[in-house]
Amino acid sequence: MSEVLRVLDMLAWFPENISTFGGELDALFNIIYYISVAIFFLTFGILIYFLIKYRFNPNRKGYNYHGNNIVEITWTILPTILFAAIGVYSDDIWEETKYSSRVPKPDVEILVLGKTYGWYFLYPGADGKFGRNAFTDRSARALMSATNPFGIDSSDAASADDFTTENQFRVPVNANIVMRGSSIDVLHSFFLPNMRVKQDVVPGTWMNIWYNAFKTGKFELACAELCGGGHYAMRAEYQVVSASDYDAWLDQKNGEVKAAREASVPPADTAAAAVASLR
Amino acid sequence: MSTAVLGSAEATTHGHGHDDAHHDLPWFRKYLFSTDHKVIAKQFLVSSLFFLFIGGAFALFIRWQIAYPGKPVPVIGSIMPDTWVTEAGSGVITPEFYAQLLTMHGTIMIFFVIIPFAVGMFGNFCIPLMIGTDDMAMPRLNMWSFWLVPPAGMIMMSAFFVEGGYAAAGWTSYPPLSAVIQSPTFTLSGQTLWLISLFLVGFSSIMGAVNYVTTVLNKRAKGMKLFDMPLTVWALFITAVIITLGTPVLAAAFAMLFMDNFLHTSFFLPDHLVTSSKYFGGGQPVLWQHLFWFYSHPAVYIMILPLMGIASDVLATFSRKPIYGYKAMVFAIAGIAFLGFIVWGHHMFQSGMNPLLGTTFMLSTIVIAVPSSIKVFNWLGTLWRGNIKFSTAMLNALAFVSMFIIGGLSGVFMASAPVDIYIHDTYFIVAHIHYVLFGGSLFGIFAGIYYWYPKMFGKMLNESWGRKHFYWTFITFNLTFFPMHVLGVAGHMRRIYDPNVYDFLKGLGGINEFITIAAIALGFSQLILVFNVLWSLKWGKKAPRNPWRANTLEWAAPAHPGHGNFDRDITVYRGPYEFSVEGRDLDYWPQWEPGKSISVHHHTVAVSDASEESSSVSNH
Repeated sequence: MSEVLRVLDMLAWFPENISTFGGELDALFNIIYYISVAIFFLTFGILIYFLIKYRFNPNRKGYNYHGNNIVEITWTILPTILFAAIGVYSDDIWEETKYSSRVPKPDVEILVLGKTYGWYFLYPGADGKFGRNAFTDRSARALMSATNPFGIDSSDAASADDFTTENQFRVPVNANIVMRGSSIDVLHSFFLPNMRVKQDVVPGTWMNIWYNAFKTGKFELACAELCGGGHYAMRAEYQVVSASDYDAWLDQKNGEVKAAREASVPPADTAAAAVASLR
Repeated sequence: MSTAVLGSAEATTHGHGHDDAHHDLPWFRKYLFSTDHKVIAKQFLVSSLFFLFIGGAFALFIRWQIAYPGKPVPVIGSIMPDTWVTEAGSGVITPEFYAQLLTMHGTIMIFFVIIPFAVGMFGNFCIPLMIGTDDMAMPRLNMWSFWLVPPAGMIMMSAFFVEGGYAAAGWTSYPPLSAVIQSPTFTLSGQTLWLISLFLVGFSSIMGAVNYVTTVLNKRAKGMKLFDMPLTVWALFITAVIITLGTPVLAAAFAMLFMDNFLHTSFFLPDHLVTSSKYFGGGQPVLWQHLFWFYSHPAVYIMILPLMGIASDVLATFSRKPIYGYKAMVFAIAGIAFLGFIVWGHHMFQSGMNPLLGTTFMLSTIVIAVPSSIKVFNWLGTLWRGNIKFSTAMLNALAFVSMFIIGGLSGVFMASAPVDIYIHDTYFIVAHIHYVLFGGSLFGIFAGIYYWYPKMFGKMLNESWGRKHFYWTFITFNLTFFPMHVLGVAGHMRRIYDPNVYDFLKGLGGINEFITIAAIALGFSQLILVFNVLWSLKWGKKAPRNPWRANTLEWAAPAHPGHGNFDRDITVYRGPYEFSVEGRDLDYWPQWEPGKSISVHHHTVAVSDASEESSSVSNH
């Protein structure tokens, strides 16, 4: 029985929110939810009342009445005001979360690529900036391949320390994370349920995705746009860690990249994995 | 229903009237390649019912897999073709077949069930009869508009025989997924067959629509002004205008995607894709979404507006009341149609379209809730102080109104672009679309079938079976689709083969199983309808000329009208909803009956000075 009651309490089913603007989005959902529930009970109440009160009675006739303009105007204007208010209020949050001019100054910038069926992430590495790749220079898109999905130009010195992860990434807590998302083949959708983030990634363009997590932990990334048979399994994990843990992880990664470079192995340490996992 | 007031002698005389004025046609011209709009309507009824069960079967496969991932499909699992299952005889659906299932379910239900029902069947049946004319303006074009559908359906289903099976990119078929192919040029794949098939269906729609517009504008009975038309005709007329404006755009998009697939052009494929296909470059994937939704959002209204009209007629008839705010209803339909063309981008909030456009599309989308609520309030106003008889048609119309309220309210969530960020592509959307298209459209279609079946076949549908069908459908429908809202709120993505891959979806197995059981019951409940339609055809009670004591012109025709429809000259004297008029004994006043009335403060009052016409009044 409690399960049944829980189904009726729709708001209890949200996964835990960990992003700064997630609270606003959930609150907006709740507002619309309560308005909807109110309208639902109002209209269904009236409907059921009418159906009982005016049920068939052979001794009664219907009421020949064709309507009233004042009533019509009233119930045109009232919903207009209500819905316009929802629209205007929504737009503030929409602008905050999606407008490119409102993307905050990044504390951490990561590139993300969707592929059938998985995710690549590119970090700028020790120097904190990306070298020449398909994001920083459009012409480098020609370098994109199964082994080099980001189109990294290895002749650019700034590229040497950029490193890639596959199907997992880490971000620091309480920091503005800005991700630039794209795809190497078909459409995918970058969906972080706990972060209340969703953005389709489209091959050929880069999308701005940003968020700021206030809680550490291990969470999931899902693909939300049908991308083929393996769509359902296009899952990745990410960890929100404290700033010090994040720095330690970065140092470790940078060390690995450096060691690999000195051993003159190709810089992208996931290249072999990428070949295996691409079709 | 009481039929005492009807001229029953008349009804029997013309009961089986294939009008003698039309010389005998060979059987295939009568039943197959008929130009009679009523026969064409019945053909649409049969084909749509057939596809309803195909689409429903696909849905049940989907439901089974999502509730019991990795378990063999019961009963027929062992005999499923090898290409559908993980290994021969295992009965477990593959992920690839799952994508085909969801694609075909959506495509068939929208293009082969709801649109043909709503527009093909009711458009054909209702328009000429309700405007009091003998047939469509262009009967031969009308015949062709139906006869494009069976080949289209066969082409769609024939993808079973090609390599890779049915189209599998979703009913929206977003490229690059729908266009990146490894196969050589000139290969017929599931996707190309899908495109050819829907191109034909689109042509069928356009042919039907130009016919409807022409017929409504040119062939109305003497005395019938535009604002004397029943709301069903208004809705179908405006729907036809939407089709003529929107469908060509979709056809153009189909042509481009077809060329991308068949000839390896790249309208929708950008350069530097990392794929084993070598045919791409220079295209724009999001262009498809704009073109597709420019038609397919109005298509949502193509699928609901006719049923709004039908529900209005049914509500008025069984409440014995005029429609509250008839003109407001017409303007609301027109408003929805107009706004429907400037809201397509709300399907694309997360597509990567410029977020500034997101703002404008959000505002236009939210505005469209206004005409929708006007309609709901006017329906409630129509019930107010009525004398409501709960026939099966009425029950279904009431279900239409109430489910449309829920579907409309859940639409406000996704109309708000920031809320849509989270619920986009989740089961919340699936719940919404089914509340509108099943709870709305399909209940409207049921209402229409129960309401007009007597005029279609000259027999009454069995009310008792009708009620059983209604209650089963109504309850299992809500049990199936309401919990989907909860899945959506929990973040459950749509179109996924196995939710157990994700930790955050692991707690939802119970709801998924519950939905599947309800869906199976819902699917099988529809057999009652088919049984009733077939049983009543043979053993149903003979229908009188005007079984519901309604006002609109189709009830002036013989009980089972033949080719040519009417056995009398039709002149229209008043609007379609003059029920319970003061100064009359009968609680209805058909449009074709002479008589004078005056309007006093929104009430109609009969004035008795129609002395020479009084004899013809008493005839009916």
